[in-house]
Amino acid sequence: MSTGTRRQDAPLSASGLSRLAWLRGDGVVGWLFVLPALVMYAIFVLQPLALTIWYSLYRWDGFGVATWVGFRNYVTVLTVPDLLETIFNAFRLAVFFSVVPVGLGLVVANVIHRVASGALGTLSRTVLFLPQVIPLVAAGIIWGWLLALSGLVNEILAAVGLRSLTRAWLGDFGTALPAVGIIGIWVLLGFCTVLLLTGMSKIDPALYESARLDGAGWFTELRAITVPLLRQEIVVCLTVTVIAALAAFDIVYIATGGGPGHATAVPGIQIYILAFVERQVGLASALAVMLTLLVLAIVVPLQWFSRERV
Amino acid sequence: MSYTSLRRTGLAVRGLPALLMAVALVGACAPGAGTNSSSGSASGGTAGCGTSPVTLNAYFETGFDLPFKLSAEFTKQYPNVTFDIKQDQFTNLINETPRVLASSDPPDLIRLPTMASFAKEGLLKNLDAYASGFGWDKWPVPQLTQNRVTKDGTRGSGSLYAMGLNYSLTGVFYNKKLAAQAGISAPPKTLAEFDDDLAKAKAAGLLPIMEWGSAKSGMGLAFPLQALMASVGQVGPINDWIFDKSAATIDTTSNLQAAQHLEQWIKKGYFPSDINAIEYTDSNARFTKGEGVFTFNGDWENADYDKNLSGSTGFFVMPPSQAGGNPAAMSAPLTYGIAANAKHADCAAFFFNWVGSNRTARQIDVTVGGSNPGGPAGASVPSVTAGSITSETLAAGNVIGKAGTAMDFIANATSSIFAQGWTPELQKMVGGQEDAAGLLKAVQAEYQREIAS
Amino acid sequence: MRPPRAELYAGRAFLVVLMLITIMPFISIFTTALYPSGTVPSGLAWPADPQWGNFIEAFNVANMSVLLGSSTFIVVAVVPVALVMATMAGFAIGLLRIPGSRVLFLLFVLGLTLPFEGIVVPLYFLEQQMGILNTRFAIVLPLIGLYMPFAVFWMRAHFVNMPAEVSDAARADGATTWDLFWRIHVPLARPAIASLGILMSVWTWNQFLLALVLVEDPLQRTMAGALGAFQGHYATDIPLLCAGTVLILLPTLLVFVVFQRQVIAALLGGAVRG
Repeated sequence: MSTGTRRQDAPLSASGLSRLAWLRGDGVVGWLFVLPALVMYAIFVLQPLALTIWYSLYRWDGFGVATWVGFRNYVTVLTVPDLLETIFNAFRLAVFFSVVPVGLGLVVANVIHRVASGALGTLSRTVLFLPQVIPLVAAGIIWGWLLALSGLVNEILAAVGLRSLTRAWLGDFGTALPAVGIIGIWVLLGFCTVLLLTGMSKIDPALYESARLDGAGWFTELRAITVPLLRQEIVVCLTVTVIAALAAFDIVYIATGGGPGHATAVPGIQIYILAFVERQVGLASALAVMLTLLVLAIVVPLQWFSRERV
Repeated sequence: MSYTSLRRTGLAVRGLPALLMAVALVGACAPGAGTNSSSGSASGGTAGCGTSPVTLNAYFETGFDLPFKLSAEFTKQYPNVTFDIKQDQFTNLINETPRVLASSDPPDLIRLPTMASFAKEGLLKNLDAYASGFGWDKWPVPQLTQNRVTKDGTRGSGSLYAMGLNYSLTGVFYNKKLAAQAGISAPPKTLAEFDDDLAKAKAAGLLPIMEWGSAKSGMGLAFPLQALMASVGQVGPINDWIFDKSAATIDTTSNLQAAQHLEQWIKKGYFPSDINAIEYTDSNARFTKGEGVFTFNGDWENADYDKNLSGSTGFFVMPPSQAGGNPAAMSAPLTYGIAANAKHADCAAFFFNWVGSNRTARQIDVTVGGSNPGGPAGASVPSVTAGSITSETLAAGNVIGKAGTAMDFIANATSSIFAQGWTPELQKMVGGQEDAAGLLKAVQAEYQREIAS
Repeated sequence: MRPPRAELYAGRAFLVVLMLITIMPFISIFTTALYPSGTVPSGLAWPADPQWGNFIEAFNVANMSVLLGSSTFIVVAVVPVALVMATMAGFAIGLLRIPGSRVLFLLFVLGLTLPFEGIVVPLYFLEQQMGILNTRFAIVLPLIGLYMPFAVFWMRAHFVNMPAEVSDAARADGATTWDLFWRIHVPLARPAIASLGILMSVWTWNQFLLALVLVEDPLQRTMAGALGAFQGHYATDIPLLCAGTVLILLPTLLVFVVFQRQVIAALLGGAVRG
């Protein structure tokens, strides 16, 4: 066949291929193919991103005159305790949204892999994934109802004799943030579990066989084989969940509105309030830029970490 | 029994016969009592809705029937006028208002829980011409001064920038059955008596006060706090602070006393333990289902309380700390405004006038809204069911009006003092993370930060 | 080799408990929705007198037919357009390997980590200038832009794995680039396009923040976006609120159950190929 002939003629490198494409005029047409996506992206994502950075250097109320203030907004974010607290809250949430789903997800995926490879496994996968599919605001409403003083969680606690622990979980200063964290775990655990499980199915079963022959228990198996080989999947899990935590808005807005006090005030909600209620667009933009940088600062090294030993 | 003794001592009895007499007299003598107010009745008042079809663009708060019923009645009387109503929950409404007013198709009628900053920025229509044209500035409604704003954003004087659909009154509602159970025989006449009543309720194993406090509805403890402030101190400085007068501060000695008093109530367990998670509507639902002897709320809830706790709800204005002193209460217009660039401002202004002067509108105001309809002197007095909670609040409103001790709400001092100041700080006080002094200092600092920007 | 019996039972029991915990909130909401309006039920108990009519009432009072229409309109406006654009771009970057592919690719990937809050403020003012604020296009247009990073990434990953023989053969037969794309590769990419389409539909349906900020009228938002107004109206009436929430959950839940394999494959595949 002509294809085979060409292949034997000259082993073309990737750059060679694209040069060839360019010579054939593919480059121009190719760029036309990219253009629509690029244009939409540029107008509605890149341009606002640049504008956010631009606004953050001014003090503006949204329709009056803007005054240049340089980096003053950033200083404000870093020195006003309530604003700085939102960033700490975001990290606290990340422990719940990220560390727990990944850790617990590893355990669950391991369990499914070891003891439930049949119908039970498929059912578990589907059921655990359900919370991912519903709107986050619905999750917030449902859990707001469950965590209320007269809600199901307290009922169960009372039923098992732990009545002294009952409280309004979302209204209590000590438990509001962890309670929102629990909602996040409920939403994200399924994602991590299924992701890790899919990764596990790509691991050579022979490895597991030989480990079992050597008498390895489930924890050793997890530590020695699964975790090292699932590096890429774990990093993806961490990335998605950390972004969900740092950028959290829907769940917190519906479940607690940012209260009580500033216990669950996260950057997402603060940006919304600053920009649209207090009309301090510059300050809101500075906080937004810092949030974006924070996300990048965590996520980029994570990616690098996953590629290191490929 | 306690009910009869209440009637013997309380405002209810003193007010009710007077009210009934007033109805009889006014009803018999008032000119044009049975007709609608005509559009051109006031001198120079040619503003109206015309005869060609007009659609008023409106933005109302979800969950409160009054403006919906009023607009439906208006369309019934003036069929060429229809309403295109958008509605949103309180927090969303507050958040959206600045943008909505500045948009290219702003509302002709908009609910304005706060309005001074919008007036200052020129987003609201100046209603002075309508006020003189329709004669609103002659209405015996002192609360309208709350809607006047000077050029530098101070309220209480200056041009009129918003009207009220009615004039609310806040105070203390109580569950008569539970009060009897706690051995409370009459509404308290002084603050000390009220403290005793609360202790009795607690001793009887009842929840003394039901209130809301979730960040989603805002902190309801602002009501008892302000009631206490006015009970132990003067009303003037409080209003000055709310109106953003220069050098006004909320951190005063008497306010500190009031805040400490509230702190005591919190520490004694007079409020629900989960108050920081209770939303406004939940609080009312729980109160009408018998949780809480007292609740601080306003007469806009009358219809709800009458329906769900009928015959069993009582009302009194927060008593003063000194025996025989004047009671004070928050009493504010149910503020609605017209956007500066509204397309049908004249028709909207005519609607405002109609609400205050038209007989059916005024009746709806009282029946559905539970509050005093204001309006011109000599306007029809709506009938009220004897013994209903509304008759008690209307009578109490008269007392406050005469004493001149009406206040606006401390939550309205600036556009976000409630969400960013009172709510988080009061929640912290409930959680034991802040004391009374810290509360006032923090709120004052937030207030100054917002005024400055 | 099977693991020891104790582990087998412990492991399976663990999974069952976990599944029950995951499902419990859904069951609770559903049973609560069936209680008589105005009561304050708690727990999981099935009501003595199930009020199936609550669903109908919640549907009517929350104007759900309008909301369904609004959400559907937005999904129909966003997803096909986004699919076409992303497939074309993924084709160009992944298969044609046009000059500048690497830079373009990195540019799109940058968007993957961008939190919506980073752009929502200027987006509001931008749309105000464009005059589309408070219309459904206020949500449609930015969403298309915001989906490009993931969508282009996903389609490129598919095209990169296409064997060169297919294209070479077509070229040899004189196919133009467009023919190559439309007649050969799009049909081959159908599973990838389908998964992506389902995913974007679910995301669009569940969109909240953009809808809240950019559209004032709750009836013009997505179903999730209108939830705030709905909640305010019904906070006192728990069974009705639950009925409404169930109705709002139902569409995406059903889509998932029917298309679960594609949805999961799309999410995971795209994620892992990072």
